Amino acid sequence: MIVETGHFALVLAFALSLVQFAVPLAGTRLGDQRLMAVAGPVAVAGFALTALSFAALTAAYVQSDFSVANVWENSHSLKPMLYKVTGVWGNHEGSMLLWVLILAFFGALVAWFGANLPATLRANVLSVQGLIGAAFFLFVLATSNPFARIDPAPMEGRDLNPILQDIGLAIHPPLLYLGYVGFSICFSFAVAALIEGRIDAAWARWVRPWTLAAWVFLTGGIAMGSYWAYYELGWGGWWFWDPVENASFLPWLSGTALLHSAIVMEKRSALKIWTLLLAILTFSLSLLGTFLVRSGVLTSVHAFATDPSRGLFILMILILFIGGSLALFALRASSLTQGGLFHPVSREGALVLNNLFLTTATATVLIGTLYPLLIEAVTGEKISVGAPFFNLTFIPLVMPLLLAVPFGPLMAWKRGDLYAVAQRLFAAFGGALLVVLLSFFFVDGIGVLAAFGIGVAAWLMLGAVTDLALKSGIGSVGAAVAWRRFVGLPRSVFGTALAHFGLGVTTLGIVAVTTLEVERIVTMRPGETMPIAGYTLRFEGIQPFQGPNFTEEQGRFVYFDAAGRERGAIMSSKRLYTARQMPTTEAGIATRGFSQLYVALGDPTSDGGVVVRVWWKPLVLLIWLGGVVMMAGGTMSLLDRRLRVGAPSARRSKDVLKPQVAAE
Amino acid sequence: MLFWIVAAVLTLCACLAVLLPAMRVRGRAVADADHDLEVYQDQLGELERDAARGVIDAVEAEQARAEIGRRIIKLAAERKQDGSAGSGRLGRIVATIAVLAVPVASWGIYAAIGSPNLPAQPLQARLEKNPADSSMQELVARAEGHLAANPEDGRGWEVLAPIYFRMGRYNDAVVAYRNAMRLQGVTAAREIGLGEAIAANAGGMITTEAQAAFERALEIEPDNAKARFLLATGFAQEGRTKEAEGMLRTMLDGLAADSPWRGAVGQALAQLGVEADPARPGPSADDMEAAALMSDNDRAQMIENMVAGLDQRLRDNPQDAEGWRRLVQSYVVLGRMEDAGDALKRGVEALGDEGEAAGDLVAFAAERGVVLEGQVEQ
Repeated sequence: MIVETGHFALVLAFALSLVQFAVPLAGTRLGDQRLMAVAGPVAVAGFALTALSFAALTAAYVQSDFSVANVWENSHSLKPMLYKVTGVWGNHEGSMLLWVLILAFFGALVAWFGANLPATLRANVLSVQGLIGAAFFLFVLATSNPFARIDPAPMEGRDLNPILQDIGLAIHPPLLYLGYVGFSICFSFAVAALIEGRIDAAWARWVRPWTLAAWVFLTGGIAMGSYWAYYELGWGGWWFWDPVENASFLPWLSGTALLHSAIVMEKRSALKIWTLLLAILTFSLSLLGTFLVRSGVLTSVHAFATDPSRGLFILMILILFIGGSLALFALRASSLTQGGLFHPVSREGALVLNNLFLTTATATVLIGTLYPLLIEAVTGEKISVGAPFFNLTFIPLVMPLLLAVPFGPLMAWKRGDLYAVAQRLFAAFGGALLVVLLSFFFVDGIGVLAAFGIGVAAWLMLGAVTDLALKSGIGSVGAAVAWRRFVGLPRSVFGTALAHFGLGVTTLGIVAVTTLEVERIVTMRPGETMPIAGYTLRFEGIQPFQGPNFTEEQGRFVYFDAAGRERGAIMSSKRLYTARQMPTTEAGIATRGFSQLYVALGDPTSDGGVVVRVWWKPLVLLIWLGGVVMMAGGTMSLLDRRLRVGAPSARRSKDVLKPQVAAE
Repeated sequence: MLFWIVAAVLTLCACLAVLLPAMRVRGRAVADADHDLEVYQDQLGELERDAARGVIDAVEAEQARAEIGRRIIKLAAERKQDGSAGSGRLGRIVATIAVLAVPVASWGIYAAIGSPNLPAQPLQARLEKNPADSSMQELVARAEGHLAANPEDGRGWEVLAPIYFRMGRYNDAVVAYRNAMRLQGVTAAREIGLGEAIAANAGGMITTEAQAAFERALEIEPDNAKARFLLATGFAQEGRTKEAEGMLRTMLDGLAADSPWRGAVGQALAQLGVEADPARPGPSADDMEAAALMSDNDRAQMIENMVAGLDQRLRDNPQDAEGWRRLVQSYVVLGRMEDAGDALKRGVEALGDEGEAAGDLVAFAAERGVVLEGQVEQ
C-alpha cells in the first residue's frame, strides 16, 4: 500500500502544480485577490505530497521491496543501510524525484517566507514555479516513473553501481540539486517581473537570499563532486573539464555574476534588465545541465539508463522555458524603467567588469562543452575538447578577474578613485610580491608561472584581509574603536571578504597541485620501498577482505618521513562488487597538513609484484577548503539583516503614507 | 481498501488547499507601492546607520539620501494608478474549475498508470510469512538465507538442488548438487542430478562435463538406467550414433519386461534409426574423434542451431510452458537478452496473459533479468 500511496501522491502533486500555475496567474490577470491567495497553500500542499511520495520510495528501498522496478534495478538486500537510502537518488528516476522534491520545497519556502512580498509578485512567482513543477512532474510520470511495478516480484535486486556506493552520494547530488533548483526561484522572480512589466523596489533584495542560498549549495555540490571524483575514481584528478562537470560549473559562473549584479541593482537600482537576464540565463544553464546529464547525450557515471524519449522530453522543457522566458524578456525589457547612473570607475563599474569577465568565461566553457556535441550531431565525427582548450581560454580570462577582485569591495559607489584604492592595497600588493619571491627561492622545482600563481592567490587573500582592516579602521583609529567597528561591520562585508578569501585559498590549492605535483608509477613487491616527496613508502603486502556486498584485495602500505620515523599506514584496495561483477579501485590516501599522499593499486605482475601509482599532492585539500570558505562567506551574507524587509500591514501603510502625501 | 481511503483523504486535503484560500474573504489589498515605500524607508535607516558608523562619508550619505528621496516621490504618482477591484464572478468560476480539476486529473492519471491492487512487498515480510502462503520463489529465498548462514548444511543443498532445477535456475542447481556431494557424499542420484543441471544450463546439450557426471554415476551403479540413457543421448547428440545405438540396445536387453524405460529407449532407438540411415555408412573413427574434440566455436554453433530449432518448434507448437522456459534460459545463456525478451513476450502471449503458466514464465524470466516489455515502462 505504501508504494502505491507514494505513486498516487506524486500524481496528486502534479495536479496541484497545474493549479499552482493556472489559478494565481488568472488571479493577477483578473485582479482577484482570492485566486492569487491560492498559490501559497497549494505550493505547500504540493511540497507535502511530493515529500510523501519521496518517503514512500525511500521506504521501498529500505525494505528492499523488489516489486518496485526501480528498487529491483538499483538495490540489493545485502547493501548497507546508508546506501539503501542514498540509492534512492543514485539512479535516473529517483534523482528526478529528488529534483522535483527540491523544486516543490523551494516553492513552499517562497509561500512560507513570502508574506512580505507584494501579492501580485508572490502569485506570479509561485505561478511560474508551478509551471516548472508541472513540466518536471509530467516528465517523471511519463518517462521516468520510479513507482513502476513488477509482478511477481523478484527475490533479489541488481545492486547499485559500485562507484556510487560511497558517502559522497549522500551529499553531492542533494547539494548540487539544491543549487540547480534554487536558481529556479531567481528565474521565477525574473519572469514574474516581466509578466507584470514592473520591478518592485525590493526585487533585488528578495532575489538576493535565493541567489545566495542556491550559490552556496551549488558551490558545495561542485566541491563535493570534485573531491568525490578525486578519491573514488582512483586517478587522483580533481577536475577534468568533463562535460558533466562543466554542466554544473556553467550555472555557477553565471550565478556568481548574478550575485554581483544583484548587489548593484539592490543598492543603486541600476543594471535591472541585465540582472533579470542573468537570472534567466542562470536557470537556463541549470536546465541545460540537467538535459546534458539526464538525456544520455553524454556517457558518464551520471547518465544511468539512456532513453531517447527522455532526452527529447527534457529538450522540449528546455525550449519551452528558455525560449519562452527570453521571448518575454524581448517583449517586456524595454518597458522596464532604467535606474541610477554611475561613473565607469566605481563600485558599480567594478561589478560590471566582474560580470563581463564571468559571462565571457561562461560563454567560453559553454562553447567548449557544446561544440563537440554539435559537431557530432552534424557530421557524426567525434572530437574531444579537453583540458588544453579550457586552459588556453578560461585561465587567461580568469586571471585578470582574479587580479581585479581586491579592488572591487574598496571602490566607492557611484564615483570611485582607482588611484586611492590602489594606494590602500599597497600593503597587500607588497605581501603578495614577498610571497612570490619567497616561494621562488625556497620551494623546490617551482617555475616562474607557479610562483606567479601563488602570488595571485596571496594577493586575493591579503586583499580580502585588507578590505576588512580598512573598513574597521585598523591603523587610523585606536584598537578599541577599531575592534568595535570590526564587530559592528555588516555581515555582508564579512561575507564578501570570506568569499574572496576562499577564492584565494582555492587558487592556491589549484596552483600548487598543478605545478608541484609528483607522480610515480612503479612495480612493488612486499617489503620494497620507494621514495616520494621526502617520504618513503613501504609496501607491506596484499590480503583478501570480505565486505557486505563486495570482496576486495587490500594492499597495505606504511610511510616514513625523512628522519625515518613511521608516520602511518595507507590502505589501498581493488574491490569486486559481486552482484554486478564490477571492479572498483579504492585509493589509499594519507593527509599531511593540507597535502596528501595518494596511492592507487594497479594490476599484479607475473613476478609477484603489483603496479602501484603514487602521487604527492601538495596543498590539494585547499582546493575544496576554499570552496567551504566561499560557502561560509555566502552564508554570512545570507544572514545579513538588511535582507529582511518588513511587510507593510494594510492599516499601518495608510498612516505611513500620510506625511508623504502631505509633503507632496 | 485502506489504500483507497488514504487516496481519498489525500485528494480531499489537496482540494481543500485550493478551496479554502479561494473562499476566504479578503481585506483591502496592500498596494505594491506600499511595499516599495517600506523598502525605501528601510534603506534610509540603513544609510543613517552606515553614516553613524562612519562607513560612508557625509557627502556620499547626502547624495544617497537625495536619491532615495527622489524614488519615494516617484511612488506617489504610481500609487494613483493603482486600485483595481476584484472581478467576483469570473474568479469564482476559475476557482470552481480548479477545485474540480484536482480529483479529476489525479484519479484519471492514476487509473491509467497506477497498480492499486498490488501490495507493497518488503523482502523481510515476504521471507517471514507462513510458508503455506509463500510462493515457490519466496520459499527458495528463505532456504537460501538459511544456507548463506549455514553453508555446511548438506541436507539443505540436497533439498534445494532439484527445486532450483525445476525453477530453471540451472546454474544454481549445479552449485547446489556439488555442495550436496561435498557435504553428504557422492551418490549416483546426485551425480545424475548434477549432469542434468549442467546439460540444462548448456541449453539441453549434454556436454563433456555432463557426460563425465553420468559416467561417474554408472561407476557407482552400473545398472542405473537413467544415467545410461542420458549418456547415450549425449553420444547421439555428438553424432556418435553407433555407440549410442549399442548402448541403448544393451540397455534394452537388460531391462525388465515391465520397466518404464522400455518405451523411452525404444523411441530413442527409433529416432536414431531415422537419423542414421542404414544406406549410409556410420561415422568413421576419425569423424567420431573430431566430434569429441569439437572446438568451442563449433560447439557454440551447434548450441545456436539447437536453440534455433527450439525456437522454431515453439512457433509451430506454442502451448509448451517448459519449452518457453528453456528458450528464455537458452537465450540468456547465449547473452542474447533481446531475443530472450522477445521469447518471453511470445511465450506469455501463447500461454495466455492471465494464466498461471504465463505468470510462472514471467517470474522465471525476471529471475534471469528478463523483464516483460511494457512492464517497467507502465
